[in-house]
Amino acid sequence: MDILTSYSFLIVAIGTVILSAAAGIVGTISVIKGQSLIGDAIGHATFPGVVLAFMLFNVMETSILVIGAVLFGIIAFQLIHIITGSSKITLDSALALVLSGFFGLGMALKSYVQGNPYFSGTQGIDDFIFGQAAYMLKSDVYLIIAASVVSLVLFFIHYQQLKIYTFDPVYARTVGISIRFMNVLVLAMTIMLIAVGLKAVGAVLIVNILIAPAVTGTLWSNKFMTVLIIAAASGGMSAFIGTYISTALTGIATGPAIILALSVCVVFSMLFAPKGILAKRSRLRKLGEAV
Amino acid sequence: MTEYAISTKNLSVAYSDKPVIWKLDIGVETGSRTAIVGPNGAGKSTLIKAIMKLVKPVSGESAVLGSTHKSALKEVAYVPQKGEVNWDFPATVFDVVLMGRYVHKGLFKRPNKKDKKIALDALETMKMSQFKDRQISELSGGQRQRVFLARAIAHDANIYIMDEPLQGIDITTEKLIIDTMKKLQAEGKTFLVVHHNLNTVPDYFNRVIILNKEIIAAGPVEDVWTEDNINAAYYEKSDESWIS
Repeated sequence: MDILTSYSFLIVAIGTVILSAAAGIVGTISVIKGQSLIGDAIGHATFPGVVLAFMLFNVMETSILVIGAVLFGIIAFQLIHIITGSSKITLDSALALVLSGFFGLGMALKSYVQGNPYFSGTQGIDDFIFGQAAYMLKSDVYLIIAASVVSLVLFFIHYQQLKIYTFDPVYARTVGISIRFMNVLVLAMTIMLIAVGLKAVGAVLIVNILIAPAVTGTLWSNKFMTVLIIAAASGGMSAFIGTYISTALTGIATGPAIILALSVCVVFSMLFAPKGILAKRSRLRKLGEAV
Repeated sequence: MTEYAISTKNLSVAYSDKPVIWKLDIGVETGSRTAIVGPNGAGKSTLIKAIMKLVKPVSGESAVLGSTHKSALKEVAYVPQKGEVNWDFPATVFDVVLMGRYVHKGLFKRPNKKDKKIALDALETMKMSQFKDRQISELSGGQRQRVFLARAIAHDANIYIMDEPLQGIDITTEKLIIDTMKKLQAEGKTFLVVHHNLNTVPDYFNRVIILNKEIIAAGPVEDVWTEDNINAAYYEKSDESWIS
């Protein structure tokens, strides 16, 4: 129980819990719209941005690396948009191309940097691939809190608009909601959370904190607000458990530990939630008996 | 243009290089039940999408209550075709109807007690009160259409534009929609409805626009709903060779 009361664990846990709760809420929009993989492509694409920002400034300072991550997230999204808009390449192909292309670039840059004596302290870059919350600083946590608060405020100011935009985009336009603005808003919130979460969860797995809590939420409720609350709760809880495991057992990176906890939530919900497999089976059985 | 609820002037819309509607001048009279009829590909949906400013015209303009500005669309409740919404969205019937109050709300758009009352009344009008907590994905085609109409009623607009509201629904719902339309018309509301069943036009509507890329005829049903006009729309211009 020493870990639970240790100051450094609490700092890190606060950071990851707030991040995952916020990501759970923001990610719900993409999940319902069926655009989860855009977050995955953006997540991977931020990695070369991190390495390039490090190369430019030669400091392992999260606030600077985050700017590189955000820029590359935006570039990746625009590229996906251009590829699908101006050619016959489908969205899933475009996502796969951008995801692997950008991540490959990041890995190539990483090998170059780590083999070059000009750069120092380069092992810290590895934390951004799978996440290592144990090395998180207080300033990293502040950054997470700031980004989470900003995205949640933006989300709830535009709550009614987001609801109509996600359910019925055509109607949204006819009542004066700008689809372009809503797209930018969702993208901005997503990229912001991805960028500040990289050090804790890593570029490879970050998409999971956006998607898994939302999937859990939609399995438990038919009400948008309840889905959001369940998403936030399952995200926050999984982050706490994951951070605890990775702190208690040395050698387990935080990202994978959080993702494992999130996956347990999803599997449990798929089985036992009101909209899960078992409930569906029992409904069908009852129907069969009635007939 | 002001005496009409909806009007267009020289309105043309094209997708890529093919014109879909061509130089339309229409006027929808305030307080009328106006049907838009025409064969497949005649541009019926495109016309109302252009009026709702969902597609950009290549020429001309459309006006609602005399105003060509987007803000005038607040006076219009639009009932889209069923296929255009995300049915997996976690919302109840009541949530969807409450969305109709959006245009009347202030900064944070939060619905209050009065909005909820209006939404419940709209559900009652469409005889959907007992389904108010039902998940929207669990509804039948007719029930979905009733929910959309209830949302439009909650919108409390002066003008209703509907895209094939009677397609694929049961006869009870069809009758309910038509009765509601006639009742609201008696209160001074205007309806512009894309309609595909030619047999029911004289019963359901008092004015009609017969369309096949151009206006074939438009006016009171008793004047323009003639066999000649219908034939002109459905048989003589059904190929694309008219585009010179």
